[in-house]
Amino acid sequence: MFAELNSILNTSPDDVTQRGFILLSDRKADASFLIHHYLSFYLKAGCRVCFVGLVQSFSHYSAVAQRLGVNLVQAREKGQLVFVEALKTSAAVMLNESSDEAAQLFDYLRSPVPELRALFEFVSVSLRQREAEADSSSTPVLIVDDLSVLLSLGVSVGAVLDFTHYCQASICSRLQGSVVTLVRCDDEENEDEDESSSCLLQALSHQCILSLRVEGLQTGYCRDIHGQVEIWWRGSGESVQSQRKIFHYKEEENLFGVPG
Amino acid sequence: MLSEVLQGTEPGGFVIIRDTACYSGRRLLKYYINCALKRGEAVHVLGFEVPEHELCAKLDSSCLNLFHFHNAYTDPLGWTKQSSFTVQHFSATGVTQLLQETQHAKTSVLVIDSLSFIVRHHDPVVVCQELQKLRKGGSVRMIFGLLHMDLHQQGVLGALSHLACTVISVTPGNIARYAVANTSQRKKSGKVMQKEEFFTLTEDLTLSIETKPNQSGKAQADLHTESEVDPMSNLTFNLRLSEVEREAKEKVALPFVFSEKKKSALLSQGRGSGRIMYEPDANDDFDEEDPDDDLDV
Repeated sequence: MFAELNSILNTSPDDVTQRGFILLSDRKADASFLIHHYLSFYLKAGCRVCFVGLVQSFSHYSAVAQRLGVNLVQAREKGQLVFVEALKTSAAVMLNESSDEAAQLFDYLRSPVPELRALFEFVSVSLRQREAEADSSSTPVLIVDDLSVLLSLGVSVGAVLDFTHYCQASICSRLQGSVVTLVRCDDEENEDEDESSSCLLQALSHQCILSLRVEGLQTGYCRDIHGQVEIWWRGSGESVQSQRKIFHYKEEENLFGVPG
Repeated sequence: MLSEVLQGTEPGGFVIIRDTACYSGRRLLKYYINCALKRGEAVHVLGFEVPEHELCAKLDSSCLNLFHFHNAYTDPLGWTKQSSFTVQHFSATGVTQLLQETQHAKTSVLVIDSLSFIVRHHDPVVVCQELQKLRKGGSVRMIFGLLHMDLHQQGVLGALSHLACTVISVTPGNIARYAVANTSQRKKSGKVMQKEEFFTLTEDLTLSIETKPNQSGKAQADLHTESEVDPMSNLTFNLRLSEVEREAKEKVALPFVFSEKKKSALLSQGRGSGRIMYEPDANDDFDEEDPDDDLDV
């Protein structure tokens, strides 16, 4: 968890004011540190978190979270965290080695017209169950790492957008929670796919209230600074005044600084 | 021109507000909703992208009984079976039916938030046809649609824009708070009017328009003084000259200016000027009559 980023965003685990759709994206850089940041941030804040891990396994996130001072295993046992092990299960579903329940959850891998309805229903049920169990004051949070993997698995941009729309409508608007998603946009990949991931990014930036975009430095590799983060407050409905700022960051020391 | 969009009286007007992620056109849409409500017209909103409370906020509370929100936000595809109106229901007959359920005697305005969402779930051709049917159907006086420009291909954008009689493209302006609206309006006679306007919309949905501030220097200056940060304040150096300083500056001769004094100094044959002294020796074959003999002319 990065204290400096929190102070820039004017938020802290004790007081989660920012509720809504937060979009993380990267280009020629790695924004996964922000995913780890938000995971540990919301767990520390006592929110109920549903995490869809499409990129790494639970043990990886657990190891990183440990270094950031959060115990994922404990959180999962407590029921605060629901972890969807999508990386491993997807493979199992593909190879027909999984149970029926998992196959249903990941039906987008098999059904002729892939849609993410089952995944949304799972997310919304798991967050609503927690609402009944835990004290109702804790806010629900959905984190997806990352959406562009779904595109590579054959899901169309439209289907992903429907999924995020439903998540936003049910989690952000109805339950007053937050949704955090990551979208990768790389130049190196073949053109078609890149085009669709940038389409996705473009459409999601219409929906989000806050966008964090991680980029490599324009001037090239540098030892002291890993890249820059563009923070874009879009504001929700009432305050349209949007604001953009760019900060340089260095991961190991969790430093955020003004460029120059 | 922005403020006159709603004034048309003939039925079947269709206005498209085109925006990008950088600047949302929803506030301008809300401004028109508010204007229509104030005129006593019933406003029906097909809301796909934002919840009702967000669109409702800051509207004139005395006229809200004329405001009808058809909620397609919470369940646009019928996944959770919560709403009666889904995106599949979008057709001329479906919408007309919806309007008739809560029909007022007065004319009504249909607001679609947004067309982008519909185009994503329907064939663009079908969308255009249904919109055209709605216009001709006579159940609505005007249709307003929000369209996100950066999400569609050029062809789809073009097709929808051709259908509209007014297209407003909003982009963020260079000057803080001001946004740019490019309006093009097609009259029935075939006349096309285009105008670029700078506008701001305040929290309570009042519109103020500046017509092209960069054409007249004065308006530009006004805008600059309005913006809060003055770059000239708190400078560590002096930008202006006093009278004395100006006189002193004007006296200084610039180094590369060819003044009268310099010219005469260069032209006068001073003592130090160069001269060639040459004494021919015996080996020189000097021809008196042709001194240039050695030259190969």
